[in-house]
Amino acid sequence: MSEMDLNRFETLVAAYGATPSRWPEEERAAAEAFARADRRATALLSEADTIDTLLFAHKVAEPSRTLRTMVIEGAPTKRRLKGRAKLWWTGLGLALAGASGMLAGSAATAALEPISANVQLYSPDVPALDYSAEENAL
Amino acid sequence: MSLDDPDGELVRRVGEGDVHAAEALVARKLPRMTALAHRLLGDRTEAEDVAQEVFLRVWKSAASWRPGAARFDTWMHRVAFNLCTDRLRKRREVALPETWDAPDPAPLADAEISAEQQSDAVGRALAELAPRQREAIVLTYYQELPNREAAALMGIGVDALESLLARGRRALKARLEGADE
Repeated sequence: MSEMDLNRFETLVAAYGATPSRWPEEERAAAEAFARADRRATALLSEADTIDTLLFAHKVAEPSRTLRTMVIEGAPTKRRLKGRAKLWWTGLGLALAGASGMLAGSAATAALEPISANVQLYSPDVPALDYSAEENAL
Repeated sequence: MSLDDPDGELVRRVGEGDVHAAEALVARKLPRMTALAHRLLGDRTEAEDVAQEVFLRVWKSAASWRPGAARFDTWMHRVAFNLCTDRLRKRREVALPETWDAPDPAPLADAEISAEQQSDAVGRALAELAPRQREAIVLTYYQELPNREAAALMGIGVDALESLLARGRRALKARLEGADE
């Protein structure tokens, strides 16, 4: 059981109110024991209870039926999940077909169009351009 | 699924496309999410937008949800809390909805005040609190989150949460009783 004195009890009740179930679990037993044993606790609990009553007078409206319906309509269903999975596999299939088509196309192009003799490929034999003349002119 | 997560099994079934599980999850969580957003934003329509957005994310995440450090309810609170924070930030200042602006002429002590009037008065007082005090009170009292979870959601320590709660409660009482803090 944790330590409980008037100071901590006062802090606890000021923050969490008069209902023990709302007090931090690890301090609840000690606080309840303190409340039973110390007469000063009664006044603190009474004051806190007044504020609790005020707080819980506040009610908010239940969610509308329309909202409930809209929310439930968006929920995943077995059918939708199946559809999604099918779509995923279809997408994957199309992507693979596209990729293989591109590869096949590239290969066919390569076979049908031999590299032109005019295209200069990199060759260690081709000397690097010499800009020294231009630099000297500047 | 984690045995510690009371929603774990339901979420697993939602992820498998079980419509009944989805309906059960909505019945269990939609009122909590709308209440959280309503109290943080002070606007029912916006609250319903937020709740709908939260569930869109739930539906997307259910199949891949794995129990971790946080419970599913805490994760939902985090999503809703962040959506509300974003909306509040976009308002640039915490401008209260017009319907909440008018000061309450009748203190709650009046025995003739109706439950609805009491609720409205507390709603106004909540809306007038400093935003962090309101967040602390909403998460701890109305959403009933354990103190560590509420503090973590707000990005603060438990001591700071307790301080916000105590100050918020005092301010609320002062407003409702028409007394100076």
